[in-house]
Amino acid sequence: MPPTPPSIERPQRWDAAFDPAMTEADVERLLAIPPFSQMAPENFPKRTPLREILRHDTSIRRYRQGEIITRQGDYGTSAFLILSGTTRVVLKPDLAPALLGRQAPVKKGILRTLAQLWGGRRPPESFQRAQLRPNAGVGARQNENQEVHVFLQDLPRVLDQHRTEEMAAGDFFGEIAALSRMPRTSTIFAASDTAELLEIRWQGLRDLMRADDQLRQHINRIYRERALASYLRATPLFRYLTKEQLDQVAAQIEFATYGDYDWSGEYKRLAQSGGGRPEKEPVIVQEGDYPNGVVLLRAGFARVSQKFGQGERTLNYIGAGQLFGLDEIAHNFQQPQAPVNLQYSLRGIGYTHLLIVPTNVMEQIVLPSLPKSELPPLLSPAAETRPAPPAGPVPSGARDRIGADTLEFLTANRFFNGTATMVIDLDRCTRCDDCVRACAATHDNNPRFLRHGPTSGRLMIANACMHCADPVCMIGCPTGAIHRESFAGQVVINPTTCIGCKACANNCPYDAIRMVDVRDPRGEFMVGEDHKPISKATKCDLCVENHGGPACQRACPHGALERINLNDLTALADWMQR
Amino acid sequence: MNRFRRQFFLGSFLLLVASVLAIMIHCRWSRQLPHYAYLTGWVLLVAMFLLALYNARKRLPFLPLGHSETWAQLHIYAGFFTVVLFLIHLNFRLPTGWFEGTLAWLYALVTGSGIAGLLLSRVLPRRLATRGGEVIYEKIPALRHALRETAEALALGGETPSPTIAEFYVRQLSGFLAGPRNFWPHLLDSRRPLNALLSELEDLRRFLNESEQATLDKLTQVVRQKDGLDYHHALQTTLKLWLFVHLPLTYSLMICSVLHVVLVFAFAGGAR
Repeated sequence: MPPTPPSIERPQRWDAAFDPAMTEADVERLLAIPPFSQMAPENFPKRTPLREILRHDTSIRRYRQGEIITRQGDYGTSAFLILSGTTRVVLKPDLAPALLGRQAPVKKGILRTLAQLWGGRRPPESFQRAQLRPNAGVGARQNENQEVHVFLQDLPRVLDQHRTEEMAAGDFFGEIAALSRMPRTSTIFAASDTAELLEIRWQGLRDLMRADDQLRQHINRIYRERALASYLRATPLFRYLTKEQLDQVAAQIEFATYGDYDWSGEYKRLAQSGGGRPEKEPVIVQEGDYPNGVVLLRAGFARVSQKFGQGERTLNYIGAGQLFGLDEIAHNFQQPQAPVNLQYSLRGIGYTHLLIVPTNVMEQIVLPSLPKSELPPLLSPAAETRPAPPAGPVPSGARDRIGADTLEFLTANRFFNGTATMVIDLDRCTRCDDCVRACAATHDNNPRFLRHGPTSGRLMIANACMHCADPVCMIGCPTGAIHRESFAGQVVINPTTCIGCKACANNCPYDAIRMVDVRDPRGEFMVGEDHKPISKATKCDLCVENHGGPACQRACPHGALERINLNDLTALADWMQR
Repeated sequence: MNRFRRQFFLGSFLLLVASVLAIMIHCRWSRQLPHYAYLTGWVLLVAMFLLALYNARKRLPFLPLGHSETWAQLHIYAGFFTVVLFLIHLNFRLPTGWFEGTLAWLYALVTGSGIAGLLLSRVLPRRLATRGGEVIYEKIPALRHALRETAEALALGGETPSPTIAEFYVRQLSGFLAGPRNFWPHLLDSRRPLNALLSELEDLRRFLNESEQATLDKLTQVVRQKDGLDYHHALQTTLKLWLFVHLPLTYSLMICSVLHVVLVFAFAGGAR
């Protein structure tokens, strides 16, 4: 008799509630107020009823006056509904970086640069106490749930110097950033003595939108008004459209999201099991299907694949701003008598947010606006050879030069996410560790990376922060300490405002962030009032304060190490053939 | 033409031109310029100090002093050029006197160790990458220890350890797993020691039952992994050690050269 396989309770969607403290009374209260009181419970699927969404996907948060709720530039997984009290959104000018827990990017001056000559004897990760003293303009306090809230110390001055707008009970905010995985566009803080907000995590918001037309239309309208119009204007495909035509397109565009917002955990499981397989990723559109619309990637990444034997072969991956399905729709538009279906499949990797321009909109508005010379070439359904996969980060020439194995390796490990990935050519690397020493010399005698990592052929992707296009680490930092140095710039950590909560280290899919216990200049570990060591998150900052670029790259005597933007694999292909 | 090749051809061309020019100048002016030996000596000394500056650059990675790769290229080609300068300084004759002889030997050893390092740094990384099983050098002892524990558990542990395997382990494998082995065969890319050990393991198979054979397969796997570690250890040690030859020799040469200058000026009467 075969042995009985071990059985466990199947994991369910709501095994881990967003806030375990939510009670039935809280849910009843929410059901009694708009917009939930106006929702029809019968519209919700049996598996995700409204009551359970509110119970498991929301949390009631209380903020005191001046406490920051969202920061401009942060990534967030949730939206907020004001239940009581008021909040204020900062319009102009933006709050100073220091008030948001960040460091203004400053290059080291000559004296500080030369002072490093004597830094070799300093204990690793040592700070003067004054260096870790937070900015006087902000403070931090814990609420009754042990959550850290950062507050603005001099609120009247902030209100005096910045134009702000009040938001009151019933107002929604943060939904665009939560759904589209874009940085939050503004800073919002509590304006009344106490403000009560309902925080709805991304999954709950998605399910609410699916079941409730009014909420969906409301959020879609906000999305179209605030984010879509400017995005479409910047997309080359629509550059010949008039404003009226652009409005028509914007009105008919559909939105879709695939995958997990917090894909870090899923990626770590994949990495432990030997990498992701395309067959297990959610299909956005399937090879051989009729093209229902042109897919525009707004955020995240997607894999372009093709059936090969019993599996799927990766041909390309596309990132934010790239298109899929245009060739087929343009062909059908020009040759309706010989239509073709989709030549490739598109699958979401991690979290993918898409805009879909329906085929009829393409045929009636967009394609007629394009000059003939800009229309994609016709496809030949009878031909043996298929057209080149859509031009994404991997132009066909680069794809051939990199090789299918390496492309598969980069995709399976999701290294395409890196904008400054540390790539090592093992054919040239003498393992001298000059790069590690250079990093340590530049960063408080503590190297911020490990000269080791997954390999494919002669390439090694070292364990160093890649400064991701999709920085999962930035989700959930309570003080804003981890931030981008500029829009789409390097991801850096401000040690002054880092409280050592490990949120970023736990979120990083590539384990590139490490927690260290900091010391004073004598080498003694610093401790807090509770006598526990003070921890800080550390990672590669791409030597943002130093002149001349990353020290690791400059220190390699054999040209074996390079920081490469893997969103654009032409650079990798050129480097491999240098 | 790719970048490395372009660098090689450009560097070699410039080296050739500079060398020919230096020799032409030597042929034309060596008998006419006063204090010619002083001139070539100072030029050589300055060139040697410039070469030594590369080590200083490596110790100051936080200063914006350019890429180490560029410095390394200059170091290599300028190093070859100093050979020409050195020969010119010697007037293409063997040095006389024990101090000058020592200086010349030191110079030859520094140049030789430099060339050896250059060759090693071009050949060994490629071999390491081809072999695979990339490992951090400092972690090798810990990994070796873990492999040894695994092998011991397989050969000597368990409820009913095989006496045949246990005897073989004590006789052959325990020594192999105790530390780094077969340094020179690995450096010379010879698989003979591994093949011999694998052959002995295979010979043992006919004395084992089915479960013991399964243990033997696992032991064979451990032996292969240990061999891979030894391979990395041998090659990475070589890559690290050559610098410990090149640098002390360089410092000795620099000290002797300064002493040489002092002696020359102290006994300057006969110099031309």
